[in-house]
Amino acid sequence: MTAFGNYLVKNGNDLLASLGQHIFISLVAALIAIVIAIPLAVALVNHRRWGEVVLQVTGVVQTIPSLAVLGLLIPLVGIGTVPSIIALVLYAIMPIFQNTYAGLTNIDPLLIEAADAFGMSRRFKLFRVQLPLAMPMILSGIRIAVVLIIGTATLAALIGGGGLGTYIITGIQTNNDQALIAGAVLSAILALVASWLIKVLSRVSVKKLLYGLGILAVLGVSGGIYHQATQPKETITIAGKLGGEPDILIHMYKDLIEQDNPNVHVVLKPNFGGTTFLFKGLQSGKIDIYPEFTGTVLQTLVKQPKHVSHDPAKSYQQAKALLKKQYGLDYLKPMKYQNNYSLALRKQDAEKYHLKTISDLSQVSTTLTSAFDTDFSQQKDGYPGLKTAYGLVFKSVQTMEPSLRYQAVADRKVDVTDAYTTDPQIRQYHLVTLKDDKSFFPAYQGAPLMKASFAKQHPRVVKSLNQLNGKVTTKQMQEMNYQVTVKHRKAATVAREFLQQQHLLK
Amino acid sequence: MIEFENVSKTYEQQPALNDLNLTINDGELFVLVGPSGSGKTTLLKMINKLIEPTTGTVKIDGQDVGAADIRQLRHQIGYVLQAGALFPNMTVEQNAAIQLDQLDWDVRQKHDRINELLTRVDLDPQTYMERMPSELSGGEAQRVGIVRALASQPKLILMDEPFSALDPLSRRRLQQLVLKLHQELACTIVFVTHDMQEAIKLADRLAVIHNGDLLQVGRPQEIIANPASEFVADFFDDGTTRNLFLSQVLKTGFGRLPEPADQPVKLAGTDTIFTWADLLNQHPRQLVTVDDLVLEPQDLLSYMSQIGQVS
Repeated sequence: MTAFGNYLVKNGNDLLASLGQHIFISLVAALIAIVIAIPLAVALVNHRRWGEVVLQVTGVVQTIPSLAVLGLLIPLVGIGTVPSIIALVLYAIMPIFQNTYAGLTNIDPLLIEAADAFGMSRRFKLFRVQLPLAMPMILSGIRIAVVLIIGTATLAALIGGGGLGTYIITGIQTNNDQALIAGAVLSAILALVASWLIKVLSRVSVKKLLYGLGILAVLGVSGGIYHQATQPKETITIAGKLGGEPDILIHMYKDLIEQDNPNVHVVLKPNFGGTTFLFKGLQSGKIDIYPEFTGTVLQTLVKQPKHVSHDPAKSYQQAKALLKKQYGLDYLKPMKYQNNYSLALRKQDAEKYHLKTISDLSQVSTTLTSAFDTDFSQQKDGYPGLKTAYGLVFKSVQTMEPSLRYQAVADRKVDVTDAYTTDPQIRQYHLVTLKDDKSFFPAYQGAPLMKASFAKQHPRVVKSLNQLNGKVTTKQMQEMNYQVTVKHRKAATVAREFLQQQHLLK
Repeated sequence: MIEFENVSKTYEQQPALNDLNLTINDGELFVLVGPSGSGKTTLLKMINKLIEPTTGTVKIDGQDVGAADIRQLRHQIGYVLQAGALFPNMTVEQNAAIQLDQLDWDVRQKHDRINELLTRVDLDPQTYMERMPSELSGGEAQRVGIVRALASQPKLILMDEPFSALDPLSRRRLQQLVLKLHQELACTIVFVTHDMQEAIKLADRLAVIHNGDLLQVGRPQEIIANPASEFVADFFDDGTTRNLFLSQVLKTGFGRLPEPADQPVKLAGTDTIFTWADLLNQHPRQLVTVDDLVLEPQDLLSYMSQIGQVS
């Protein structure tokens, strides 16, 4: 509990900023949803058949998993706040529309008859009779929508939308319970407070409510404009994959670039998603730079050459040439360390069976169970290839979240898992990695990836990033990962300390 | 004057009104009466164009309702619905002034008008103006409903089963109120009810409607005394009302042929035994003649004793 308290105190400002961002995203999404759903319901009340159609459609939209909606929106509107808000609006329309529609259609027909019989104008009837009578239903719809939005908005972090989800996702990826709890609790409290607030507002008259909404809309818009206006002239967006290591790397990039280019503001999108998310984001220009591994480039991104070299220097040259040719991307110079694949198991098991290499493992693998992360179990350079190369046959094979697999081995839930050589958990859980004696695994070296046009326009940025060429050993990377993932220190701090230590940063 | 000319209405091939002709005179309290589903409410709603006839025309003062501006038409017609149908989100005053809002009356005028009308329907304005409909009894709500209908001083007021949901006491009081207001305001009221007693009590003239057909039109006594069909007779036969008419006294077998010495007073079959009793109260030995048969004073006592045994 005190650790949690410390975490809150230490990250107070960042948490508040995320909370503000979360509120902003939710508020904008809710307002847009209201502005769409209520007039739509009003328009369709007198066209019941269309009303039913829209009811069905909004219902179907809501059944699409929110992650899928976010993914689908990336090629259309890119990444960041905008697609997050669009996805949230899509979700929120349904409860508001449904309740408004139901509220309006369920008004006592006798009252509608009375309104007609006294010759009310359509406007008068709508604002003085129909909307006030439907208001309790409409407000409960808005309440449902807002609670839904605040909950779903945590997913916005996955595509760089920010908000409290950043803490939840960081928490899961880096095994940091305090971050996870802070994010989850704050978003839950926010949902409760919002729900309560709307309940209170429901006792206020419609007129005041409309004024209130108007003021909020004006505040929101002017806040947005202010936000835009106060941005520095040039902004470079750097994203990183899920996990602590990319987070550290992009902080290094930021520090180096901003040191050399004072008029450039670097925006970081850590824990941004999987390889495909980032690669698409880079191509569409929504992000400018992200760190990528040579192995991943050759295995998944470029159209495969016949022979893939497993020699680090050669595979980098190959990757660089193919990226340039096929996608017009520039791949800057790599760092020293290798984040190779390997297989890991408990030290006791390795000693018991005298296992040093993967070849050794293939002799006894039928008695062992295994779990691999999703990428590894599917990629050609992962388990399928490894299986053929070494003739590995396990008692069972399952897929597992990367962040859980080491602990699963330590807890004896499974015996063997894939491992990255820089992962700090290998040390933490007393695991050993086996030697790839047949050189099956390709080389994995990290380097910044960007569009060639971007590199051409930003020679100083390229120069800044190339300072990392040949720096950072496997041991240093493992230590930094240990600091962030196990010790829960901030990636920004760890990155800065390292750069200062290396005299790259003043 | 309201005229229905060859009015028919069909709902999805189901006839609701069949080629109906009817004229309602200015200043009448005219009652449309009939069992549920007879078409009487459909007929009423054609007057303010809530329902349009499938064929035929409805005219108010010679002007075709179908061609009239719908809002202008409705601004000139008062409407009282079942159980008041007050808007639950508005106060009594706001409810009552709803038509005045449409007519752009100024605030002061509206307030004074509602104030006056509330007093007229025996609701204290001080107490009731600011109340919400949920704080009113059924009878009070319907009084406000009547005020709402009267607010713009319409020449024509439509009432659609306004008292059917009320308890007998409230209903009787409101019926009295309607009679009183009709006299004071000299307006035309078209009143729909399925309650035959209510129809008899209120109507200057009434129309009996059944299965979309207009069966009979006339003053209540005429219809009761001379029902045009078996159905009309049955509808008005609740065993007591009909027995009050002198025509029924004759049907029961009373009355003798006149003799030269008789000096009878002539009464109609549509007169009631109360008229007869009133007469005997002043002239205890007076003979009366109804439809050429003579009734003796003693016959009243015998008749009343007889119908008392039957009921």
